[in-house]
Amino acid sequence: DAVPFGQAVEVMDPDVRAHVYSLVTALGGFNGEDVDRYVLGDDALACLRDIKRWLKLYDEKSNRMDVARCLGESNLVNGDLLPILSLWEASDQNSKYLSRIALACMELLVPLTWPVEFHSQMTVNHHRHIPYIQQAQVQYKRGILSHGKSSFLRTIIRIGLPSMAIPRSERSTRDEGILKLMLYFIRNIATISPNTRLVAEGEEEATSRSATIDAFQDQDAFALLLTMCSNVGDDFNLQDVVLLEILFHVVKGVDVEKLFMDDAQRKAKRTDELGGLLQKESSLRRDYAKSAPTRHGRFGTMIWIKRDDAKVSTVSGQDVLKDHQIALQKMDQSKKWNKPRPRRKNEDTSFNNDFNAPVQLSSTATTNLRKFVEEFLDSGFNVLFTHVRKAIEREADRVMDINSRQYFYTVAWFLQAERVRRARQLQRSQKENAKKKIEPDSFGLVAGVLNQETFVFLNRSMQYSYDHKDWEDLNAEMRCFTQILLTVQEMALSPLEEDQEIAENIQNRIFYEETTHDRILAILRGYKGQGFGYLDACTELAHVFLRMLERYSKENIDMHIRSRRRSRRTKKKAERPVGDENGVENDEQGSEDEDRVEAERVSKERKFDFKRFASKFCNQNCVDTFFAFIQFYKELDTEQLKRAHRYFYRIAFKQEMSVLLFRVDIISLFYRMIKGPGGLDSSMPIFREWEEFVRQLIRRLVKKLDQRPALITEMLFSKINSTMFYLEYGHERQTLSTA
Amino acid sequence: AADGSGLGLDEEVKITKTRQPVAKLDENRLLSQQGIPKLRKVAKSKLKFKGKGHEFSDAARLLNFYQLWLDDLFPRAKFADGLAIIEKLGHSRRLQTMRKQWIDDERPMPSVDNPRSA
Repeated sequence: DAVPFGQAVEVMDPDVRAHVYSLVTALGGFNGEDVDRYVLGDDALACLRDIKRWLKLYDEKSNRMDVARCLGESNLVNGDLLPILSLWEASDQNSKYLSRIALACMELLVPLTWPVEFHSQMTVNHHRHIPYIQQAQVQYKRGILSHGKSSFLRTIIRIGLPSMAIPRSERSTRDEGILKLMLYFIRNIATISPNTRLVAEGEEEATSRSATIDAFQDQDAFALLLTMCSNVGDDFNLQDVVLLEILFHVVKGVDVEKLFMDDAQRKAKRTDELGGLLQKESSLRRDYAKSAPTRHGRFGTMIWIKRDDAKVSTVSGQDVLKDHQIALQKMDQSKKWNKPRPRRKNEDTSFNNDFNAPVQLSSTATTNLRKFVEEFLDSGFNVLFTHVRKAIEREADRVMDINSRQYFYTVAWFLQAERVRRARQLQRSQKENAKKKIEPDSFGLVAGVLNQETFVFLNRSMQYSYDHKDWEDLNAEMRCFTQILLTVQEMALSPLEEDQEIAENIQNRIFYEETTHDRILAILRGYKGQGFGYLDACTELAHVFLRMLERYSKENIDMHIRSRRRSRRTKKKAERPVGDENGVENDEQGSEDEDRVEAERVSKERKFDFKRFASKFCNQNCVDTFFAFIQFYKELDTEQLKRAHRYFYRIAFKQEMSVLLFRVDIISLFYRMIKGPGGLDSSMPIFREWEEFVRQLIRRLVKKLDQRPALITEMLFSKINSTMFYLEYGHERQTLSTA
Repeated sequence: AADGSGLGLDEEVKITKTRQPVAKLDENRLLSQQGIPKLRKVAKSKLKFKGKGHEFSDAARLLNFYQLWLDDLFPRAKFADGLAIIEKLGHSRRLQTMRKQWIDDERPMPSVDNPRSA
């Protein structure tokens, strides 16, 4: 019902509010005599328990968020809970009563900071309260991270310490619960971030990732994480998933390359960036100045463009006098109608798990995080990730759906971190003294994710996400696979013979399965509006995979792959036993139907032919995917532009299928990239490569147009398979009967 | 009243205003004289390239040629939008057979493929 303006809307039951408020008031407060001292109410512990009961029995039971909102409005966290905690901190923590109160505070803090997520059972209440609660949580986080001299993270950790000290076998359920609370609290703090859609109130800086990382370092949360991660196998069996979540929320979106630069490099990089930006801006200005009017706005120039059949079009503005191209552009721009775009689907807003958005860190935060990452790689990486993988595979109770996405993303991130760290170490050692040989490290530190079990898990997850259209999951898995490939590649170049051998072995296994090859192809072909992050990941994976496979198959000329294809059932009996050995996806056959399909498939080994494989990437769908990618050319960095360049080059000149690129929109985009308006920055080194490529392509196009006038109509459309070959080569394909 | 209603004098005449149909870029328009037939005809006479060394001006010429043709055919749409619509139309069966035919037109078909008919 609409409420007239000026009249307050009652967002919740006044009785509930009255109850909750009275509880918060009875909890305690700052005394009149000494104002800076928080004085506990007479029955503070019972009050805390009552508030908890309200949260549980009113909010959770009836699926509302009223009490949580009330508590936000009454400033419970910053006004009461935090002062109580510092009270406990200030006392020598021997008082049993105060300790119980501190624990009760933590029990309240965890649900109050719990990330609000959109889910299917939301009511009107949720929609009404969520923006308020998100704002309130940012306030909580601000209070917790920076409250004068007190450090609440450390306080919370201190509450958990006694339970941590007990060996796992002797821990009670209550102790496990306290540990869980403590870790979830840290997870919540890492997760909360200002909602960009709500009005900013100056909290961004105080609650940013940099502030979080600094606080984690200063208040020993990182030390706690390191201890627990490296002991996940023995003492903290049940905490693995929460630890993973914390890691994920700390590192998501952080640029690894920048993280590992030292200060001088980072400064240089920043200056470069600034210089680059300034140059970009000035080139933008120059671009505009080229066609900017040289006289005042009412100068009033009008020209005719003569068309066929004695028709003319009129265009106004002096700029059009100079250049025919500009006149035509203006003609196009002045059109009012836009092709209706398909409505974007309502994205599932799992905003807490989005890792495509980049994060900027301050220099102290960078140092702190780097230190943590290095120590984690040295001590906890293998233990934690092996443990988590097993938990996910076992479908343990504590594992949620989201965890596998987090697992893959975090693994990918740390693998990249390890690679970059090695590269930096190598640089540094070369700079310092070329004479002294430094003992080369083995890749043992990350071996925990380079084993067959992980590959099987990864492959299966990729297939599952692809089949079920879980694009974000697939995104994380693709990134993970890419990083694994890159790590293995580096391993193959290692001076240690053992590493080389292992790398060879792994590559053998990765490239042996034809299903992997087909999956990557299918993913690349299947792009359809999944967003830029996905596009970036799938083009990168295809690029890396193709290049590595190319090199590998050149080195191992008689490489064999296992292809699984359907064959007659009658044949199957003879070959069946061979086929089902060490099958990868064999454990998933549930129904009888699948069994039958599986039985009809027979695996065969055959010689791998890279040329044939690469030609599978030569089709309209793949071209469209890369075309969609290159449409973002203004935002792409050098590495991404190179990736697209290599692909198109492969299509046009290596595979001799330039016909696929002869489409008016593609040519038009390529032309615009080079010649503007709004083209690539011509001072970039990659610009030359692109210019040369486009020039060659157009030359070929002009030649083809002369040879085959039919191309003038075909340029409008995606090519059909039946005529593609003729257009390219001018004769029909010699069809050989394939056995 | 009875005879009045029989004549239908009292009944209100309902006037339903129909909107002017909006012009569409569809197969029919694309295959009309203004469409692809014109494109094929004009391209032969109008489109001349300079060749090597003038790649980018050649490309500009080609793109302008398409743009003006599209503007004649369907003035409403911007160049990029028009191209997208036409590309989509190209997937229909009718256009696919037409496309094949256009290509076959230029092929020196019977003499090469089937020597008996020559």
